[in-house]
Amino acid sequence: MNVKFTLKALTGLVGVSGDEFAASNAAAELLKQYAEDVSVDAFGNVTGFVRSARENAKTLMLDAHIDRVGYIVTYIDDKGFLSVGACGSPDVKTLLAQSVTVHGKGAVCGIVSTLPPHVQKESGVPEVGDISIDIGMTKEQAEKVISLGDRVTVNSEFKELCADVVSASAVDDRSGVCAILAALDMLKGADLAYDLAVSFSAQEETGERGAKQTAFRVQPDECIAVDVSFGRTPDSNPKETAELGSGVMIGFSAALDKEMSNNLRKLAKEKQIPFTEEIMSDSTGTNADAVGVSGKGVKCCTLSFPIRYMHTPVETVNLNDIKSTAKLIAEYALGGAANDR
Amino acid sequence: MIDNLEELCQLNGASGDETRVRDFIISHISADEVTTDNLGNLIVFKKGRKTPKNKIMYAAHIDEVGFMITDISDEGFLSFGAVGGINPAVVLGRALKLENGAYGVVGTKAIHQQSKNERKNMPGIDELYLDIGASSKEEAEKLAPRGSYAYFDTDFFEFGDGFIKGKAIDDRAGCLVMMDMINGDPEYDAWYAFTVQEEIGTRGAKAATFSIAPDIAFVLETTTACDISGVSGAKKVCELGKGAVVSYMDKGTVYDKALYALAFETATSNNFPVQTKTLIAGGNDGGSIHISRGGVRTCAISVPCRYLHSPSCVIKESDYRAVRDLAEKMLSAAAEL
Repeated sequence: MNVKFTLKALTGLVGVSGDEFAASNAAAELLKQYAEDVSVDAFGNVTGFVRSARENAKTLMLDAHIDRVGYIVTYIDDKGFLSVGACGSPDVKTLLAQSVTVHGKGAVCGIVSTLPPHVQKESGVPEVGDISIDIGMTKEQAEKVISLGDRVTVNSEFKELCADVVSASAVDDRSGVCAILAALDMLKGADLAYDLAVSFSAQEETGERGAKQTAFRVQPDECIAVDVSFGRTPDSNPKETAELGSGVMIGFSAALDKEMSNNLRKLAKEKQIPFTEEIMSDSTGTNADAVGVSGKGVKCCTLSFPIRYMHTPVETVNLNDIKSTAKLIAEYALGGAANDR
Repeated sequence: MIDNLEELCQLNGASGDETRVRDFIISHISADEVTTDNLGNLIVFKKGRKTPKNKIMYAAHIDEVGFMITDISDEGFLSFGAVGGINPAVVLGRALKLENGAYGVVGTKAIHQQSKNERKNMPGIDELYLDIGASSKEEAEKLAPRGSYAYFDTDFFEFGDGFIKGKAIDDRAGCLVMMDMINGDPEYDAWYAFTVQEEIGTRGAKAATFSIAPDIAFVLETTTACDISGVSGAKKVCELGKGAVVSYMDKGTVYDKALYALAFETATSNNFPVQTKTLIAGGNDGGSIHISRGGVRTCAISVPCRYLHSPSCVIKESDYRAVRDLAEKMLSAAAEL
């Protein structure tokens, strides 16, 4: 599997929270190469299974979320301009004068309206409710192609930067989906220590809702939640960020299973997979929080990798970090760490 | 028209780096005299069917707003300055294209890690940085040396009811009108100045106007329209769909009153939609042209444009046509004044 091409395909899918079906169906098709019983539920969650030949194998859930942040149409004003609300928490600062697509009856092009200097009160950041989208139509024309509740995404092409660094929208968390697919690719025909339950979950960005449902249905023993974390930028705190290219980030948190975290770290060292520790003293802000307390409880750990500019149209990632994450997932599924129990 | 405008707008040519635009224009016009002056202004003379009593010049600027790389950090991030007036809000969260075709992106630390204050305030251009994915200063320097340019990397498309979106429509729209006039069959002889460095202080027009020494000048431009949601009355300045904008005054020029009236008369008698600005705002090459030598009678005819100086300039095709038609008619109207 080519990680770059897969990530490009995945980040090209729309799938804003609550409207994931097109993205979910496309991701399900990719998953079918590796898993059986692949399905998309009524919520847009994708589930598939790769079963171990061993008897009484425990179930390991591998989760990444399929949804992405975006906007939702809330109002069409008398001039035909659209008001929007946020799905998740996109960075509104990055929105002005962007070209956008309104996913109405077909794709409708628009521009995020901005006030020129002569009518600006202050240079502050507008509230999302104050943003309007110019679609070059009258209200009557607009109402024919756009309904309230349609999703809006910023147009952003997949860009290759230096070396193995790429930039696109929806890298959060399509790169997690990509890492899981890459792990499954490495595991083709392997003697798995676990039954794998793969979950590409809906509505993480609106409150970790989809993974809750999938975890309940699957009732796994353990879960690795694969999500993106904070990459180092010149204006960020080095203590709260990791360098791009520094490898997989292994989660340590009060809400995660300490033994699982330790085993993953040990395994990464043993297999010489580049890694850093991501310490989250409280909960994790990922699907691991929801999955952990599902049903009778699930041992969870997070595997992340750093991206820069999270929740903007130019989320930036190093492909090698996705590969390191895939490698560690694969080694874990082969039982490298479980053998120590 | 739209295909030609797209081609022109997608060329990168910020102030001081206009070569690509100039070369394109040179290869797409057929004129009697074509010269490039010391600043890079393209000065064109096209013979008409008749010789006018007044020497007439049209002017449109070929430069656009853009960015210049100013510094490179040890980690390989680039600092940049704005070439021309750019609101940092229209830079954040998008890709820029370097002169050599490589890409960079502009962002800040993640929204989750921003303080309340940081979330509420737009950083200045000097606080932004361009991320080209380089892992060292040396790697970055190869792709983007100090003093090299970066450009908005954005799509050009038609949308809605006859609207067009793209970068640099300011002022490639004016350039296209002049190219159309040159390649047409003009009634009178005229000079056409494709000027440089308008965005950093209408500098090219100073030299071009001195060289041409016209009696009458028409500036073909785009001008701020603010006919958007939440703005009413005079603050709209002008409106898309209401035709060519003829100005009586802006921040750089008080325009020739007789020419202003003549432009309105000409538009009205030919049924070209025409409007004026409801706010004294903006400025253009007219500011340099009208005070050149002993003075030049100057008139500005503009395409109303939303979101100027952003990657998403928006105009309406019908307004572009109104400007083109009026610009053409004004040659005949001004020739024998």
